[in-house]
Formats: sequence, C-alpha cells, structure tokens
Amino acid sequence: MVEIKNEMDPKDKKEALDTDYWRSFKELFKDTSTIDSSHNEFGKSVTEDFDPSKLKGISRRKFIALVSASAALAGAGCSDYRSKGFIVPYNQMPEEVTVGNPTYYASTSTSCTHSCGVLIKTREGRPIKVDGNPDHPVSKGKTCAKCQASIINLYDPDRLEFPLERSGNEFLKRDWKVVDDAIISALNNSSSKQIAIITHTVNSPTSKKVLDDFVQKYPNTKIYSYELFNEQIRNSAWKKCYGTDNFPLINWDQAKIIVGLETDFLGIDGNKVETTRLFSDGRNFHQTDNFNRLYIFEGSISVTGMNADYRIKLRPDAQYELVLSLLNELDKKGISIPAGSQAYSGYSLDSFAQKYSVSKNRLNLLVKDLIKNQGSSLVYPGRTLPEEVHVAANILNEALSNTKLYRTDAAETPVLSLTSKDDIARLVQDINSGNVAVVIHYDSDPVYHLPKDFSYTDAVKKVPMIISMVGSKNDSSALGNYILPINHDFESWGDFKPRSGFYSMQQPVIDPIFDTRQKEVILLTWLKGKPVVYDDQIYHNYLKNNWEQNIYPGINSKMNFTEFWNAALHDGVVIFEESVPSLGSFDKSAGNSLPKPSSNHSGFVVALRESYQAGDGKFLNNGWMLELPHPVSKITWDNYAAISNKTAKSLNVDDGDFISIQVGNRKLEIPAFIQPGAADNTVTIELGFGRKVVGIVGTGVGFDASVLMSKAGDFSPWIYEGSNITKGSGSYKLASTMEHHLFDNELTTNVAQKRKIIQEGTVEEYKKDPNFLNAPKPNEEESLYHKHPYPGVKWGMVVDLNKCIGCGDCVIACVSENNIPIVGKDQVLVSREMQWLRVDRYYSGTIEEPTVSNQLMLCQQCDNAPCENVCPVAATTHSPDGLNQMIYNRCVGTRYCSNNCPYKVRRFNFFNYRDHFKDHFQQSQLFSLAANPEVTVRSRGVMEKCTFCIQRIMDARSLAIEEHREFKGSDVKTACQEACNTNAIMFGDENDKNSIIHKYRNHELAYYVLEDLNTKPNVTYLAKLRNTETEVA
Amino acid sequence: MNKSLLDYILRVRLPITIFVIIAAFAVTYFASRGVDKGIGYSPVQPIAFSHKLHAGEMRIDCQYCHTGVEKSRNAMVPAVSTCMNCHSIARKDQPEIKKLRNYYFNNIALPWVRVHRVPDFVYFNHSVHVNSGIKCESCHGDVRQMDRITQVHSFTMSACLDCHRHPKENLPYLKNVKHGPDNCFACHR
Repeated sequence: MVEIKNEMDPKDKKEALDTDYWRSFKELFKDTSTIDSSHNEFGKSVTEDFDPSKLKGISRRKFIALVSASAALAGAGCSDYRSKGFIVPYNQMPEEVTVGNPTYYASTSTSCTHSCGVLIKTREGRPIKVDGNPDHPVSKGKTCAKCQASIINLYDPDRLEFPLERSGNEFLKRDWKVVDDAIISALNNSSSKQIAIITHTVNSPTSKKVLDDFVQKYPNTKIYSYELFNEQIRNSAWKKCYGTDNFPLINWDQAKIIVGLETDFLGIDGNKVETTRLFSDGRNFHQTDNFNRLYIFEGSISVTGMNADYRIKLRPDAQYELVLSLLNELDKKGISIPAGSQAYSGYSLDSFAQKYSVSKNRLNLLVKDLIKNQGSSLVYPGRTLPEEVHVAANILNEALSNTKLYRTDAAETPVLSLTSKDDIARLVQDINSGNVAVVIHYDSDPVYHLPKDFSYTDAVKKVPMIISMVGSKNDSSALGNYILPINHDFESWGDFKPRSGFYSMQQPVIDPIFDTRQKEVILLTWLKGKPVVYDDQIYHNYLKNNWEQNIYPGINSKMNFTEFWNAALHDGVVIFEESVPSLGSFDKSAGNSLPKPSSNHSGFVVALRESYQAGDGKFLNNGWMLELPHPVSKITWDNYAAISNKTAKSLNVDDGDFISIQVGNRKLEIPAFIQPGAADNTVTIELGFGRKVVGIVGTGVGFDASVLMSKAGDFSPWIYEGSNITKGSGSYKLASTMEHHLFDNELTTNVAQKRKIIQEGTVEEYKKDPNFLNAPKPNEEESLYHKHPYPGVKWGMVVDLNKCIGCGDCVIACVSENNIPIVGKDQVLVSREMQWLRVDRYYSGTIEEPTVSNQLMLCQQCDNAPCENVCPVAATTHSPDGLNQMIYNRCVGTRYCSNNCPYKVRRFNFFNYRDHFKDHFQQSQLFSLAANPEVTVRSRGVMEKCTFCIQRIMDARSLAIEEHREFKGSDVKTACQEACNTNAIMFGDENDKNSIIHKYRNHELAYYVLEDLNTKPNVTYLAKLRNTETEVA
Repeated sequence: MNKSLLDYILRVRLPITIFVIIAAFAVTYFASRGVDKGIGYSPVQPIAFSHKLHAGEMRIDCQYCHTGVEKSRNAMVPAVSTCMNCHSIARKDQPEIKKLRNYYFNNIALPWVRVHRVPDFVYFNHSVHVNSGIKCESCHGDVRQMDRITQVHSFTMSACLDCHRHPKENLPYLKNVKHGPDNCFACHR
C-alpha cells in the first residue's frame, strides 16, 4: 500500500498536480508500482499464483492412477467414435418458435418501482436478454443495468424451488396443498386479530384489486407498503406548497440551468431511464445555444456530480442554508419571493460562501444564471433531504417561474400510497400487544429494510403465523413459519400503471421453472377458502376479467375485447387519453412555517444513499451487478464509507482502513474509501449491502449500513448529523478496478504530436472556434503496415462523450449478450475481471475539487492492430470488414496480444471462470439457460475481447440475404448501443457516405485515443464540451 | 551374435518390418479417409424413415418438413406432430408408423441419430446458403435416393472453405455465384 499521507506535503503537491488526468491517488502521486504496472499488460499480482514452484507436486501413485484412468476413458470413449449425438425435435411444434431464431415478448420489469417496459429475447423458450420496449412511452426502448441484470435473478442459484415450513430450527419441503390448508385455517382463526400484509410499492391496479378482495374477505387485514428510499418527503413538501399529492414530472430536456442539491437524478434518484435521456437531449453539441448547465452541490461524488459543469462539494446538512441564502440573494436582486422574508432574511450568500468555503464566483454565476434563465432553470433537491429544503426549493422555483418546466400532460399516479412511519410503528405496537395473528411478507424484507429501532425483528417473532412470499430466502423469511416461493417477473402476469395515460402489461415468457406460484395467485387461492387445483391460468383469467369489466370500458377502444387484449399483450403497453390532475396553485403561506436551520454543524454528517449495484438489497445475489464497477469509485463487491482526503488525514486512515461510526447509540464498522471531491466531515455510505440471509453470491458482500437508521430520523431518515467517527481496528481490501488496465502514459508523452487520451473543451471555446481541438485528421504517415482496401462495409463506432454519463448500463448489456462470466472479488483484486467493456473514469484538477471525465473503453478494432502480428498461432486476425477477429479455438494463451495492446482491452481466462466461482453455479443447468447460444462460452486459457457483437452483425447479414436486399451498416445495433439510455454509442458503416459514423469520423470534435501510435482505431470519440464560463474557471 | 544372423536381420527382416508398418499405416490411412471426414456414416435410426420414399417417390418438398431452412440457422428436424399431419390417417397399421404414433401419443421424445454435424464453435447458417440458391444436395447428397440417410460429403473446415473459395467449380448450377466469406468471423465467434 502506498503511503499517500506522507507524500501529501504541500511542496510535493504542486509537482504532483502536473499530471493532467488521474484515476487514483497512486497515479496522481506517481507511485512506482502503479507506473510499473502501466507499462505492463496487467498489474503485478495478476500472475502471482501461477508460480510453478508454488504448485503442489503430484505423487507418483497419483500420476499412474491418472494415466491409467485416462487410458481407460480413452478406450471407452473410442467405442462409438463416430457418434454425433442425437437430434430431438419437439413432439408438438409450438406456434411461435422457429428453432434457431429468437422470439421477442413485450413485458414489464419490476426491478425497481418505475415499471419500465421491456422486450425479452427468448431462444427456444428461454429468456436470454432484456432490452427496452420501444413502444413504451416512458422507457422508450431503453432499460437500466438492473433491469438487464434481472435475467439472472430468474436463474439465481438460490431460488426457492418449493414451499418450505419451519420445523424447529430448519425449514422442510412441503406441498402447496399442505401449506395452503394450514394457512387458510390460520387466516380463518384470526377472528378479530389483525392480518398484516407488508409489501413494497404496488403499481399494479389488478394486484391492488387482489389485495382489496383479500381485505373484503378478511376485514381485519391491513396493508402496509414501504420503500427503503422513497419520494415521501418530496411529495409532502409539494403538498404543503401546492396542495396536491404528487410532485410533478419534469421536462428535463427544456431546463437550461439545473441545480441539483444532494441529488443523483442521473443515477439512483427517480426514473433514471427517462431522466438521463431527457438530460442528455439538452447536451447536444449541434445546438450549442441550447446546451444546459448543471450545477451540483453534494457531499460525495455521484453519477450526476460526475456530469456537472460546476460541482460544488457541500455537506448535506448545509443544503438548507444554501437555498435560504439563494432566496435572500434573489430577493436582493429584485426577484419577488412568494413567501415571507422572515424565513430567509439574514442568510447572505457571502457568509454562506465563507462558512462552507465555497467559491464565491461560482455562487455569483449561479445567481446570475438563475435570474437570466427564469422559467427554464430548476432547483432540484434530492429525495434524502428534509422537507424544509424541498419547501424552500419549491418557493425558489415558484419565484423564478420555473414551474413552466413541470409537466401538465402526465403525472405519477400511485396505485397504493406508501404507509407512514407512524403506521408502521403502530403495527409493531399491535404485534407487541398480541393483536396481530398473521404477518405476510408480500415479496418484501422489512427485517432488513426497516430502521432497527422499530424493533420489528423482535416484535415479529411473537406473531403466531409469519408467511414470507419471496423468490429466495431473505432476512425476514428466516424468521417465519412458511416460506412460499414466488414467480420471477418473467414467469408472471400483470398490469402496471406508474403514470397517467398508459398501462404497462406483463406476460410470462417462460413457464415457472420450479414449483413456484405468482404471489397474487397465492392470495387468490386462500380467498377460495380451500386449496384449489393449481393452474397457471388462475391469475391470467383474473387479470383478463378485471380488464374486461373494469378497465377496458374506460379506455374507449374501437376493438372488441379479445382483439384489444391480444394487442395489449403484444405491444406491452396500452396508451389512452386520461385527464391529468392539475398541479394546484402555490400557497404563499407555505414559507411561513419554515424552521431556522441549525447553524451548528458539529461532528460528522452521515449520508446514506441507495446502492448503484445492489439497489435496496434486491440485487445482492446478482453477480453481474456486484461485479459492475461502481460508476464513481470503480469498487466492486462491496460498499464503503466515502470520506474526503482531509477527513481521512484527520482520522489517520487510509483506503480500506476500518472506521467506526456512531450515530446516537447505533454503531457501524466499515472500511473507509478516500473519495476525491468529497465534502469534509461527511461520510457517504450506500445501503443495500450486508444482508445476513442471502444466497451464495451475496453472502458476506458489503456491510449493512441500515443499522445507522432510526425511525425518528434526524436531519432526515437518510442523513444524520453530529455523529462520531473514529479510526477502527484493522483494514479491509476493497476490490477497485480503478487502477486496472492503465494506459502507458509515457508512450504518448514522448511523441512529438502529443495526443491526450481525454480531449475536452468548453461550449464557449467550441462556439468561438469549432476547430479548437485542432485535431489533425488521421495521419497518413509512412507505416510498416500495408494499406488495406475495405471495399464493402467497414464497421466503426462513435462514442459521444457529451452524452455518456458513465453509468455502466452498457457493461451489463455486454455481459449479458456475450456470456461474460462472473469472476468474484478475489479475482477482481488481482485485476482479472472479464468485462469486455469498461468505463474509465479520470479525475483532473485538485483532490478537493476534481473534475471528472468518463471514457468508454473497448476494443478499438484498429486497422493496424498491434495485437495481430504478435500472435504466434494467428488466432487474432483482421477481417475484410475491418474487424479484429479473435478465434478462441486457435488461441493457445500466450497473451502476447494483450501484452501488445496499448488500450488494454483484452481479457484472459486465467481459469475456467464458470467453474471457479462459488460452487461453480455458473456451470449449473439452471444458470446456463441465461447464456446466449450465438456466442461461444470460453474456457480456461484463451484470450477474449469485444467483437463489435459479431453475432448481431452476422444475424443482420443473414436477414439481408434472406430478404434479398443490400446489407447496410444501419441494420446492426450492438448490445451496448441498444442499452445506452443517452444514445452516446453509435455504430455503423464507415464507408457509407450517408451514415452518421462517416459524418462523425470527420467531425471537428472527433478524435482517436492514442492516435499517434498509428493504430488507426475504428472507435471515434467526440470530445466532451463543458458548459462553463472561462472567467470563472 | 552370429554374424550371418545379424546380416539376415538387417538385410531381410528389418526392411520387411518397416515396409509392413508403412504399408499398414498407408492402407489404413487411405481406407479411413472418408471415415475421418464422416463420409459414409449411416446410423440406424429409431424409426426407419425413408427419404427415398417420401422425398423421392412421393416428391414431398424438403421444406414441407425442414421448415427452418429458409429462415433460420437450423434446417429443423420436423416435430413429431408434422409427421402426424399425414400419419394420423395414412398407414396407421405399419409397424414403423405404430412406433411413430407411440412417440406422439405418449409424448415421448424422439431421438433421431444425428448424421451431419459441424462442431459447436462453428456457427453454420442454413438460411444464408439456401437463400443464395445453393441446393440441399450440394452438401447432403441426393437424399431422394437414400433409404437411410448417409453422409456423402465432408463437413470439415477445408470442405467449407473449398466451396467458399471456389464456388464456380463446386456449384456450377449457380450462374452469378459470388465467393463466400473466408474470414474467421464468418463462422467462428
């Protein structure tokens, strides 16, 4: 471990900061081991455990035994050496299947609460890939990483396969009939005592109807719905100001100035799929006059913070003062504030800037921008901030008439609103006083999610009958009497109505793999009063009837119901005219009740955020998500406490050292991570990790920070002031990919025509001189390589860095499409992660206030590929359409190619990773179903890398031949391109003069990474423009 | 050792032994060439289905059963239900048809023995070839004459490449035939 602290003396600092871009402290401070590893193909440790002298010897007896066994096997294997196996056709041909061709079904994902429409690709009846449904009015053909990764939840090695009943300390297999019988009699005997159903957000009208039916039959039922992270505070503040229930939807694409306060709307706050698309629409370099400007005030860098033009670090509990100071400043500048001035008078921006050492210039610029862009600016506080910040921000937006950005054509329409904290506290009280007979965990995990001081865990143990309906065991189900396995999304029927104006339909794409049932069906069975003969049509018919009787008549469709129903399932969405409730009018008295902020910010502030990777814990057994490097820290397989460099120094901790956090009487030990750009005395931790009862993948992953939460909340339920932090004992290894695959910088520094890897400028510069990058066109210097003609199609990719937000959705899409294995934390630690696509995150500027640049890095498919001519067995060669082909069967694993690749995008199978990780579940029959049959599953000892989705290219080509038309570049979409929410990735034919690829390759913002090496890459990057003003920066 | 014996061994026995070894190897190699490439493989099938009868004498089109051949990578061995389109009525009493009906009505998987195969890492696509006008018999031989399906052409990489590189010689019936792709990614990925 490098001694960073010693090197941080001010005199060294100046020199250190000469590095233009850095990915880690080690790189910034020119740590020798890091520099060394940048020269080599891999880090030092990568081949550590392959020292032959360390290998276990093999005994003579064992050798003889092996030899004779193989001889015997060879003899046996030769007996029918001509056999080629069997072809087993269907007995009855399913209507929709053509063997070898995919079938797509529209459905809805419930990976999060936004009910995105998905198209599920199935091959021979098994789902293999998830993408967005282009007809869906919100997600518009895109999905997020979680939705993509939800496919392996279907093939989760820890899925429950049958109902379980507690017997002593263990759970035993039971028949549904036995279980149903027991539960029905428990329900019937509950008499006047309460039956509590605890669920997450219910977005489905028909699912709600099932619950209503249940309440009708058992009137003593109460339904509780909760989310670990929710919009309750935002909505209640809205209600105070405007009198209506829900915060409106926003036209992000029309906002010129966006001010985010401790919010990550491009990452985890709100509907990411829609917001990122609309946000990036406002960052189009063709329309530099309409370029938006993003200010972010936050405690630790989030995805949104990475993309900010001005990112200002600020501890979360100072946000309220910021808004009040802004109100005061605007008042002084003559904007009429629709609230009494007593709330904000006395908070000047000057003293705010001084108190929190925020650049005065930036704040002045912000005020200037807000005044100049009245009606098209937006102040957006994060959902974890307390109500008064939201109220103050509402006042601010009203004063600047930013309410024009609120959408009046659509609104969120919750089917079932979330339960208040008080109601949950009352439930615990009722349980304790013995008034609850049955608790049903309806696909939820309250034991893990609810703040521990509700004492829900202790209370629920007193309930005589606890039933958990879950996909796999969780902390709550472990306490129960019965665990009932439920269907995955892809095995379920449903309808969802997240917003006004449309329904999103869900249909099963595969029969239940195990003896599971849909959770609605389980309730319906109980309603019948006796176990019924199960049939997977029960809920289908219920859903259809509900639609026919209650929903279809209100839609005014011209089709008869059967046609309508089939069309609805086919399209996946039903769009209809629906009136949107008005936003309400602003109540000027809302500002009167604004409290004074506490001016005393002593101690540390702890901010809890939702995890990018594990969500609220639902994805903690999902290897794809856990191995996706965190968009900012690039850490995999863990959560951590992000602290600033200064705080780390004052605590005397280094990366990975444990710190001990105490909030009230609640304690947590968690490794620290020094996050450049974090606010001082602020600790940011992601929730969703450290579940005690979880499957083999998620066991022991991360730390459960929800123990810090309290039901009373403090500053807010997710932000705690005045906590105490000390250095803990010991340290921990965080598996970060941030220093893996570093570019060798010296290669570029010595070349006369110096080209940086990241190129960027400002909108202003670009307006003044479009050629400001001065990018020389691909140089036609003399080359050792022969020039190849590429007469037909030539494949090329363009990555628009103005649009790329660095979220990593493309990485999961690539993993899913190309059968990339999960390698596990121990392998990531020695930089053996296998993802073909990575998002390189570079910092520039100071450690305190860094600027972030993201760059997608994948095989550049160089025309003059350095990897090709070093391969001794010609396993990697060039194709006539410009692809750098990697042929696994020829590869003998010398790794010369990887050694010679300046982009470090080749990945080597050091093991048969499917066999190597966690009980080799990736080789199980179940998990193998997720594999794409069009891509080879690689084994140990071969090199692999991005192929530009050759399987998709070949499919499109065969389709063109089938339809007797010319094969065009625009016929092909790569998996990463299809998944990219912001359309930052473009793919096509460079030779086609009309193609966007051809256009952008010759664009003034286009550049190639390490172009001076004369590798002639086919991936073009469009330089990022920042919308900053020169005089301020 | 006796000098004349050594002489005898060196002059007579050794050359004979070497000759026998080489000859045995050459004959075996020559005789098994086809076997090596899979040519002549004609396994017994669970039902003695005759292409000669169906495709030859009754002139049923290949695509009546092999429906995927124009639209998918797989030609598709027909589902048992396809056979039953006719055999629910035709020749119900024949022993082989009784076997077929047993598979169908008792929902038993019908394991046809595979004759033509390329390895798993080869992504062969029927639709591309058939839509380019290549006839089935160019690879599968004249199945209309086969009672039991037999492999008649080699399915090795060199056989594939031979046709891709010299289509005019191998597919003389195609007037405007172009070269097939001969890069690695054409078949491997």
